[in-house]
Amino acid sequence: MKKRFLSLLCAAVLCTMAGCGGTPSSSAAPSNSSTPSANSSSAGKEASATSNGQTTLNILWWGSQTRHDLTTKMLEKFQELNPDIEVVMDYSDWGGYWTKLPAQVAGGQTPDVFQMDYAYLSQYANNGVLAELDSYIADGSLNMSDVAENIIKSGSVNGKVYAISTGTNAPVMLYRNDILEELNLSLPMNPTMSEYTAVSKAVYEATGLRDTFIVDCSDVIFRQHLRNYGLNLYNDDATALGFDDPKYLVNMWKLALQAQEEGWGLMPGEGTAVSAFDSMVMDAWSRFQNSNELQAYRDSTGKDIRMVMLPSMDDGTTPATFLKPAMFWCVGADSNVKDAAIRFIDFFTNSPECFDIVGIERAVPISSKMREYVTPSLDEVGKEVVQFIDYVSQPDKSSPLMNADPEVHQTIGELMSQYSEQVRYGELTDLEAAAKQFMEEANKIIADGVKAE
Amino acid sequence: MKKKTGLRQKCFSLLDRDNVAGYVFTFPFIIGLIVFTAIPFFTSLYLSFTEYNVLSPAKWIGIQNYKEMFFEDKLFWTSFKVTFKFAFIQVPIKLTVSLLVALVLARATRLTSFYRAAFYIPSLMGGSVAIALLWKQLFSRNGVINQILGIFGLPSDTSWLGNPKTALGTLIALGVWQFGSSMLIFLASIKNIPASYHEAAIVDGAGPVRRFFSITLPMLTPIIFFNLINQVIGAFQAFNSSYLITQGKPLNSTLYYGVHLYNKAFNQFRMGYGCAMAWFMLLIIAFFTALIFRSSSAWVYYESEGK
Repeated sequence: MKKRFLSLLCAAVLCTMAGCGGTPSSSAAPSNSSTPSANSSSAGKEASATSNGQTTLNILWWGSQTRHDLTTKMLEKFQELNPDIEVVMDYSDWGGYWTKLPAQVAGGQTPDVFQMDYAYLSQYANNGVLAELDSYIADGSLNMSDVAENIIKSGSVNGKVYAISTGTNAPVMLYRNDILEELNLSLPMNPTMSEYTAVSKAVYEATGLRDTFIVDCSDVIFRQHLRNYGLNLYNDDATALGFDDPKYLVNMWKLALQAQEEGWGLMPGEGTAVSAFDSMVMDAWSRFQNSNELQAYRDSTGKDIRMVMLPSMDDGTTPATFLKPAMFWCVGADSNVKDAAIRFIDFFTNSPECFDIVGIERAVPISSKMREYVTPSLDEVGKEVVQFIDYVSQPDKSSPLMNADPEVHQTIGELMSQYSEQVRYGELTDLEAAAKQFMEEANKIIADGVKAE
Repeated sequence: MKKKTGLRQKCFSLLDRDNVAGYVFTFPFIIGLIVFTAIPFFTSLYLSFTEYNVLSPAKWIGIQNYKEMFFEDKLFWTSFKVTFKFAFIQVPIKLTVSLLVALVLARATRLTSFYRAAFYIPSLMGGSVAIALLWKQLFSRNGVINQILGIFGLPSDTSWLGNPKTALGTLIALGVWQFGSSMLIFLASIKNIPASYHEAAIVDGAGPVRRFFSITLPMLTPIIFFNLINQVIGAFQAFNSSYLITQGKPLNSTLYYGVHLYNKAFNQFRMGYGCAMAWFMLLIIAFFTALIFRSSSAWVYYESEGK
């Protein structure tokens, strides 16, 4: 008899456990919806229409603490103005985001609205993860009338719009103005490579802080080098590399070798900083970033951080800087609350209430009206960023955005890092041959990738 | 009392059986085993024969992944070698260190329990991110290690983690430092060796070294065997220290197999390839475990065998 009771008891316990597992999606979501929840995925799409007739909208983004705070406030405002929408917020840092998002996509839990980066856009669009937004723009539910045509186009893949830019950004060189002032040094707004190099040397000799830009030798930096000569990393339809002379790679590597021989370039493995922010206090005096990040860097380091344009090659023929979408908002292709998702993106693009809170943290608004609206109310840092964007918008300062990347871009980037590291450690000494070999390998990877599609 | 209906009768008699009760009790575990181990296990076997980028459905490509692994991916073999080097250097050192420390701590003094706890602490924090980051600071160019070397007039500008020759050694040192769990197991079994053996040997005039090699070590072989297998498996699966401290750099000298697998799966979104790599590692680990098991009859001593 005892045994029977025990077995029944166990079965009962199991049933209760199963019961518990089923309920949270409906009971937990409303109670903590206004605080970013780590388990929004479990309260996923099944809960899209809760019992009280509200629509649940899952939003996922990456960013710094500054962004998380502002976005949380902004979304609370959005809910206040749209009482029928319940937002479930979820966020992570940049690194974690690109494992978190794919995991959610693979699990059929794609968020309704999520941030997207230019480097991943074509991959996600081509795999059918993103919803097409053209029809919403056409019927006016996503009002883009104050947005320039080329900005709308920047979020399109194969002629269809999949992503709406959150704001306009430019690549910048952040630097420690407090140190430069102390040493009586300065950087011009549009420095050449030799001007930057000279300052680097002087700062290193006086403080031991080094450069991380020239020695980086990644695909991002290499792009910048190519743009100085009016070239792109890939050709127009992304079927091959966009250059055929190894000298561009060789030049980049030579600069890096010079930097580490003379001591002012940070060697790999020498960085002690845990985060990118720390790095500008502990290791480096300058850093390659985007214009909208100025605020976050000032907040986190507590130093007087300023920005100038990225240094251009002394013999460069074209301005290398470009204006680019800082990041995008995308809608999940399988989302069943697309209307609410569009309402949010429209809110983010066109409403003063949004920009009252977020300012230009996701870069300078794409809507010309909002840009005018937001500028006077900005603080010092914000105004600096807008001025900077205005400055580089001049035709002789920037050139058009590059072409879209092939899907294998991440692989090419890693291949380049591999080569660059071997060069920097003196494993490859014939730079010309190394460059040629890289180009050959990269072209093969791109060609194979094109075939596979 | 009413007569029980046939169905109820059947249910009750079913539940009264011993093995049914057993199944009901193990049910939660079996569910866990199936859902969290068996299904992912076989799914990954299937995925290893596909091209799967997570975002769109997996495409069957046969043994293409394995072919690429063995014949095209240079980094695969690099990571393979690094992992072997890591395992074959770290495991013996770690076992020796933990055995020596256990021998010292086996002697009862007033401070012994304090030391036992103190030596175990690194292992408690072992897998933690904080320790990895601490290690990075200690061994950085301006770090504590170099400063200590400087005090003794030794070369103090080594970039431990930036130099391909020293980076892996630095990570191995981190692994060795976390010897606590094998030490505890050694400690427990040293205390289990009957004191009468030692007493008899002392009476016969055996010194401490002789006693160690003739009594302690043979009596410990089953535990060494256990620790060896555990550590070998752990070393082949190493991931954290490289991922957090060096990201496989410099020059891929710390590119563990696990890190390369992660890069392929999560940076390049090649989950199929990642699964193929995982399955190959499973085979390698199975091979070495079998090897150690096979060899055990030659060197592991079990008291109960009564030889």
